[in-house]
Amino acid sequence: MTVPDSSHPMQELVNDAVALGTPLRIAGRSHWSDAGRPTAGTRIASLAAHEGVVDYVPGDLTITVKAGTTLRQIERVTRENGQWFPLDPFGSPDGTIGATIATGSSGPLAHSFGKVRDLVLGIEFVTGDGRLVRGGGRVVKNVAGFDLVRLLTGSWGTLGIITEATLRLYSHPPKPVTVSMALPESSAALAQRIASVVEAPVTPLALELVDARIASRVGLPANAAMILEIGGNAASVTAQLLTLSRLGGVTELAPGLWQGLRGIEDSGHEEPPIVLRVSGLPAGVAATWSALALSIANVDGAAMHATPSLGTVRCVLPPNTPVDEVRRIADAAIGSTAIYERLPSAMWADFSPSVVSDRLSQRIMKAFDPHGILNPGILGPAT
Amino acid sequence: MRDNKLGEKLESIVGDRFVMQRESDLLVYNSDGLPGYRRMPRLAVFPGTRDETIAVVRALAEDGTAYVPRGAGTGLSGGALADDVVLLGLQRLKRVISIDRENLRAVVEPGVVNLRLNRTVAPYGLLYAPDPSSEAACTIGGNVAENAGGPHCLKYGVTLNHVISINVILPDGEIVTLGNPEGETPGFDLRGAFIGSEGCFGVALDVTVKLTRKPVAIRTMLADFMSVDDAAHVTSSIVASGIVPAALEFMDGPTIQVVESSVYAAGYPADAAAVLLIELDGIAEGVDADRDTVRDICLAGGARNVIVARNDAERTRLWQGRKKAFGAMGRMAPHLVVQDAVIPRTRLAEVLRKIRDIGTENRLTVCNVFHAGDGNLHPNIPYNADDADEAARVHRAMGEIMRACVAVGGSITGEHGVGLDKLGYIDLIFSSESLGAMCKLREVFDPGHRSNPGKVVPIHACQEWRAAPGAR
Repeated sequence: MTVPDSSHPMQELVNDAVALGTPLRIAGRSHWSDAGRPTAGTRIASLAAHEGVVDYVPGDLTITVKAGTTLRQIERVTRENGQWFPLDPFGSPDGTIGATIATGSSGPLAHSFGKVRDLVLGIEFVTGDGRLVRGGGRVVKNVAGFDLVRLLTGSWGTLGIITEATLRLYSHPPKPVTVSMALPESSAALAQRIASVVEAPVTPLALELVDARIASRVGLPANAAMILEIGGNAASVTAQLLTLSRLGGVTELAPGLWQGLRGIEDSGHEEPPIVLRVSGLPAGVAATWSALALSIANVDGAAMHATPSLGTVRCVLPPNTPVDEVRRIADAAIGSTAIYERLPSAMWADFSPSVVSDRLSQRIMKAFDPHGILNPGILGPAT
Repeated sequence: MRDNKLGEKLESIVGDRFVMQRESDLLVYNSDGLPGYRRMPRLAVFPGTRDETIAVVRALAEDGTAYVPRGAGTGLSGGALADDVVLLGLQRLKRVISIDRENLRAVVEPGVVNLRLNRTVAPYGLLYAPDPSSEAACTIGGNVAENAGGPHCLKYGVTLNHVISINVILPDGEIVTLGNPEGETPGFDLRGAFIGSEGCFGVALDVTVKLTRKPVAIRTMLADFMSVDDAAHVTSSIVASGIVPAALEFMDGPTIQVVESSVYAAGYPADAAAVLLIELDGIAEGVDADRDTVRDICLAGGARNVIVARNDAERTRLWQGRKKAFGAMGRMAPHLVVQDAVIPRTRLAEVLRKIRDIGTENRLTVCNVFHAGDGNLHPNIPYNADDADEAARVHRAMGEIMRACVAVGGSITGEHGVGLDKLGYIDLIFSSESLGAMCKLREVFDPGHRSNPGKVVPIHACQEWRAAPGAR
């Protein structure tokens, strides 16, 4: 019994592209296509038609879906069984799982469930020379072979077109409660507030900071706030809420708030906003937050939120923010890594020339996409 | 005394004491945790510092010599066996370089033993979550190479989920940082690719690991069953209930009996067909509610008794039987093969029946002790490797067990790795194109196949990929 090589319609598209020398732009549902650097890909390789559940055994808490399946579809199917795929990237839930994995996108739930790399068990993909490859498997624990799942996660389509994925599911918490706590202004007091919550016996599903502008956009009073989603059995939720209320006043909120937060960058402007993620050590978040708050204070329409446990602060800036302003804001976060999620095409070269210029990354691209036809340039110019 | 020139070069780097070339000295290193395989290294070298390690790897690169990195040698897939190549022992690199309590991380050298790391961080109320059963001996470098797991990985995740960044020396001597110790890395997840690469991608010089706060409340319970099927079904029911136990371990009758008749007796009911060792942790109020739910599920599912440890001493005792089960099996026969496979959790009862039948057909005793919550099986077979007939039956049974697990959609290894032992099974789950892609990845890190040669991906898979036309 040996696993035979199988085939996928996407292989033909890739082989054609290689033969014609036409680079491909890989697309799920094209909901997030304004993210990432401009690519030289001219022909669209769309996964929209490749949707649906391949295999779902609720008792195993795993699901295998085609890559064009949307997060909303996965949500619908799993919720019928009291389960969920706890990954809530910012942007439309009509984005596909393929795009989510390829871009390595996560949201507030990463606080407790981890990022894409922690939730994907197996993938199938087509390499740039038309080979159909599988990595990982369909079980929750697996160390067989080298880890192509982690390699492809966050590779933005440059190493292969993801065609299928197996995901780890969790039981949906019965009655999660969302609460907010006020945030102090000074950096030191903020650091203390975060530490007091993180070190307390509470295990939130999500713990996010929002500034006053985002607070008002999602229907809260216009003050910076910490927002927590608390799950678990009834006794656990009650105990956690009690602990939090002892640490500071908590206000219970409608759960729809999280959906609003995911959608903040889709509202208000015709052009997509500029999105900058600043990443550093968790203990540095308060200082970064304060520095960035100051630097965006005079930028009309700029807003930010943060996931302290991941050490990330995300700034959403209006599309017309001038280059110098963007640079000034990014520079305000001293000692952190600036990761650009969305930028006007012309700005990419200025801010983030290439994230794959190192020798290993270059060799990996050569190995998996020898003809340079998969989203060329999306991670930076080929060198 | 072969290889005088290379030997002298290495001696000049690490000192005479730490280069072994005599066969009598090398005998200790001709096996690892996997019985039945013997491979004699050509030479063994044991650098004592980071700089020595770098110099050694560079000397090997210059010489074009292949090597096998080795931690404590507790691996169970033959991954640390060196077949007439250099064995690069890293257990002297055992410094805990730094602990960052604020950011919950530690930087350690690859030879740091899990248990020692845990003892070092325990005073701060912290722990390193991955807890392989060999935690008293195995090293973080080995954990990274194998992507090691352990009982508590059910809730906390495996090594992959707990490593932030790694400084690596590639086989050609270049030093690279994979991942970012101070935040995210835009670009490829090379750290993710390196973890679980079984020593084929290079040698870790230091590892930044994530630390976890100790849970405030822990409840450990033991449920015993008169039927293996019932215990298997209860496992599925607990997981399906939405409760994520910190650990959910399964021991079958033969395992219970050998543990109870050993010095590690843990008070398991010796007549039970199976026991489940279940640990819950978290916030006290929530854990107590979950404990009641789990007890109800066990009793409704046919458990004869459910006992809950009342204090740390009782908890330690319940765990002792589980952790020392492999040691206890040592009394049954001179050798023990600890097998490793993963199946979908809902297929547990069916596969356990199949494994029992395979054991009976091959006249072997199979002791099952495993991470049931993950569906990660460990069918263990005590045997005498020097008895050719018995060894052949063990080999046959292992192959049949692997095929049974793969047939229900499982994997050939959940935490021990492919190494040498499972090379012959890997094409049960991967096509030649997939193996070829893995080989390509290996060649990015190690074009000459000099780091742990001949492991994980069969060499023919690499040749087949190369032979295929570039664009088809």
